[in-house]
Amino acid sequence: MTRLFSIFVVLWLLLPSWAEAVEIKLWHAYRGAEADALEKAAKQWGSENGHEIVLIALPFGAFDSKVETAIPRGNGPDLLIASHSSLGKWAGLGIVENTGPHGVPHRAQAEVALTIDGAQYGYPLAFKTLVLLYDPQKVPSPPKTTDDLIQIAKSHTGGGSFGLVYEATAAYYHAPWMHAFGADISNGSATNLDTEAHAKALALSRRLGIDEEIVPKSPSSELMSSLYNSGNAAFIISGPWFVGDITRDIAATPLPIVSETGEPAKPYLTVEGVFVADQAKHPTEAQAFAQWLSGPEGAAIRQQTGAQAVTLDGMPPSENVVVRAVEEQVNNAVLMPTDPTIPNVWEALERALRRVMRGAASPDAAVKEAAAYLEVFSRPPPPAASPTPYYGLLGLAFIGLVTWIVLNVRDPILRAEVKKHRSDYLWVLPAGLAMTLLVALPFITGAALSLFAHANGEWTFVGLRHFADILFSRDWPITSPMSFYFTLAVTILWTVTNLFLHVGIGIAMALVLREPWIRLRGMWRALLIIPWAIPNYITALIWKTMFHVQFGAINALLTAIVGGGEPVEIEWFGSFAMAFSANLITNTWLGFPFMMVVTLGALQSIPRDLEEAAIVDGASWWFRFRHVVWPLLQPALLPAIIIGSVWTFNMFNVVYLVSAGEPDGSTEILISEAYRWAFSRNNRYGYAAAYAVIIFGVLLAYSRGANRIAGKKVL
Amino acid sequence: MARLSFTHLQKSYGDTEVLKDVHLDVNDGEYLVLVGPSGCGKSTLLRCIAGLEEITAGDLTIGDRRVNDLSPKDRNVAMVFQSYALYPHMTVGQNMGFALKVQGRPASEVDQVVRKIAKSLELEDLLDRLPGQLSGGQRQRVAMGRAVVRNPDVFLFDEPLSNLDASLRSHMRLELKRLHRRLGTTIVHVTHDQVEALTLADRILVLNAGVVQQVGSPRELFDRPENTFVATFIGSPSMSLLPSVGQGTQSQIEGVDGLVPVAQDGPFTLGIRPTDWIVGEGDLTGTVEVIESLGSTALLHVELGSHKVVVQVSEPHTYKADDKIQLSVGTVHCFDRNTGIRLEDGAQ
Repeated sequence: MTRLFSIFVVLWLLLPSWAEAVEIKLWHAYRGAEADALEKAAKQWGSENGHEIVLIALPFGAFDSKVETAIPRGNGPDLLIASHSSLGKWAGLGIVENTGPHGVPHRAQAEVALTIDGAQYGYPLAFKTLVLLYDPQKVPSPPKTTDDLIQIAKSHTGGGSFGLVYEATAAYYHAPWMHAFGADISNGSATNLDTEAHAKALALSRRLGIDEEIVPKSPSSELMSSLYNSGNAAFIISGPWFVGDITRDIAATPLPIVSETGEPAKPYLTVEGVFVADQAKHPTEAQAFAQWLSGPEGAAIRQQTGAQAVTLDGMPPSENVVVRAVEEQVNNAVLMPTDPTIPNVWEALERALRRVMRGAASPDAAVKEAAAYLEVFSRPPPPAASPTPYYGLLGLAFIGLVTWIVLNVRDPILRAEVKKHRSDYLWVLPAGLAMTLLVALPFITGAALSLFAHANGEWTFVGLRHFADILFSRDWPITSPMSFYFTLAVTILWTVTNLFLHVGIGIAMALVLREPWIRLRGMWRALLIIPWAIPNYITALIWKTMFHVQFGAINALLTAIVGGGEPVEIEWFGSFAMAFSANLITNTWLGFPFMMVVTLGALQSIPRDLEEAAIVDGASWWFRFRHVVWPLLQPALLPAIIIGSVWTFNMFNVVYLVSAGEPDGSTEILISEAYRWAFSRNNRYGYAAAYAVIIFGVLLAYSRGANRIAGKKVL
Repeated sequence: MARLSFTHLQKSYGDTEVLKDVHLDVNDGEYLVLVGPSGCGKSTLLRCIAGLEEITAGDLTIGDRRVNDLSPKDRNVAMVFQSYALYPHMTVGQNMGFALKVQGRPASEVDQVVRKIAKSLELEDLLDRLPGQLSGGQRQRVAMGRAVVRNPDVFLFDEPLSNLDASLRSHMRLELKRLHRRLGTTIVHVTHDQVEALTLADRILVLNAGVVQQVGSPRELFDRPENTFVATFIGSPSMSLLPSVGQGTQSQIEGVDGLVPVAQDGPFTLGIRPTDWIVGEGDLTGTVEVIESLGSTALLHVELGSHKVVVQVSEPHTYKADDKIQLSVGTVHCFDRNTGIRLEDGAQ
């Protein structure tokens, strides 16, 4: 009996552990050693606790948007590993759970980072920040101050080598100097930028990045790795993530003291945490793993295997020299602010930084401009307008529509026609529905959006206010690159110059391909169509790299051809003319094949006799083209030119990816400017929608006019 | 106006010889017709004169200039294309004035010349029309006018009448003849229509497979064809060719009973035009197979032994199909059986 009872007891005890063996899904964006460590930890905890942890790695760039779309719809994971910088937004949206105290003590910054309005979210894991990396073979002992750094860097610069490599024009890399001067952007107010401290910090960035001539121009991360690996970089300012691609011995130390102030350079600090997702399937088990991963056992694995600077208090220093530098740097770092207005300040500051680095403005002038710029961006939305007159207009339009329908429906001829073609309407129905859903509704929604102002998740009805602001250029002088008319003029110049080149080169190529002496015609034709066949953003990115001032193919080619021994260093994005040309070259490369193909087709339909008749009549090549070929190409080319001009007018990818509007947004076209208003200037969706409506209006007017000129219906 | 001469002219595309040793002088003011079957090289020869094709070997001179290496515009020739090659986007007036505009003449002068020529071609009411609004005959006249406006040394016509219907074609033939008389310019005219050739030409050049078969006046070509190709190509319906064997003063057509009075020795080819049969007498007996009536005359298709011959008789006549008829020969042409070259002293 007792035996039977004890068997029951044992079974009863075992039962729950079988029944509750669950699968916990975890999303992360780790790679390399960090991913290995996470896997090791997950396996260990899983086997100890009888659960399985499924790790799903997402691309870093897509992580936030994936989280924000999947989790509220219940398609998310149980856990996610992310930095604290998105936490403010996610906590507000209820995407992550408030999980309470961490149980074990973490370093102070980690505790602060994961606390929103007094509530604690998730469990802190690791610190990420900038440190000074250096080549121990070149630099025996690291510099203590910026003056030391400059001095040592200078001795390692020249002949393709650089003393210091970092992204000098990015605000994130400017921040350490800024903080050392006591400047701060965290409160997001406009006047905050126009300070002496900011000006001095900008001056230092300029000195380091440009004047001392120790830093290569706009280095990408690939370039930084390759320079270091080939022994051509003495110092690198970057984080532990940089070490993953490094094959050479590397050392690290906290950033130096800024000689001007005697204060240490203080980079931004981000804290990575593991968070329990809203609608998690197994929140209890997920939380248990999160706590364990954050705690001593998880931290040890992450520190040793993953080379992480862990947040847990009381851990021994890492054996990894880079991680140890990060652990030290945490003492002199500023927690990355999470205020939703920060992106505005960020853009204004970065703009000032680029202007100073380019020599377009003095530090003092730049901070003043940046403050003025920020003032417009962070201005509160305009006051709500009374919707009554708009309702009135809408009502009138509705009455007009109803009257029109009633009048027409009573027409017996129309009724008879409709009746006769009843089945035809059924055939058109699917296409009609699709057009309504995919074209008409988004268009109406977008147009309606332009009547509202968006700020911090709230919409206010402002009527035609945005249109007035844009069309009367209320915030900027008309000559400012920020004004609608400046951008419109650039867009028109952009469209006209592009089309001229597309059509010119397209026709020239088509005429050459038609010549009887051309061999391998099919091959040439295929080669010339390739630029068109490759997705344009890939082409744009390739050209962007080719335009790099020091390492780009274009300048290298120019050096070889016209340099005469001296390197040609054209700053492709340093002036409007050059940046515009860079965009133009890229888009011409993309655009001429279409015109060539259309021309080749149109040429087929021109009888050879006509040209021969002109040849016999003594017409020169140009005369024949001008008076015989071109007039006959026109009927086929005009529609292509109209379509091409609309494409070019809205060629977002090239402008956004190649010049990115540089310098100072002067090469933006209307469509990319609208994008900036929507996504990088405080999410002013309504303002951006008004831009889009105006673009629509411009193109509508253009196509009506073009049709009239073409003398026939094209659209 | 100018003389035109080909000296051992050759044209090849790669290994393909299109024109073989063309050798000819065209007199000033002469109307030369190039005739031959499709693909014989006649259009290529014309394009060589125009400068649209390069000459592979030999010389071409216009006037006293060697023009092989001159570009078309320096040769002062005007060409009328088979398709007329009117510029569809230009009015009749603009089409006609194009060459003068190319030369950079002032607009008033161009207008004056165009009006004058248009008047002579009865085109003055059409000057503002586009080619698409014209009939075939009108377009043809515009193409002519465009060539005339230039006042060239040589006119080159590439099958200019082949796109017209039969009645318009005969009308335009006459117009061409008048034009030639009025202007007196050297003309080289390409056609595959032997009627056009016979009616228009001062001299005809018969071309076959790139080789000149015979050059001569229409009369010469008709009366004394140099070979069987010219013999059958010129004259409609074609000359009948019958393999025959000569026996002194008489000859026998192979496979036919009875002799014909043709003095030859051994095998040869006997050529007889449909008009040269004498019907109702003679040693030969044939059977009428089919009768084609042409109004004033009729063509009898006659089985003669194993051969089929065409006999022309005048209307009205009493022949019916399956009638047996007696035939004898009038004028005949004798050709070498192997080479097809004309044998002299054939006819009695």
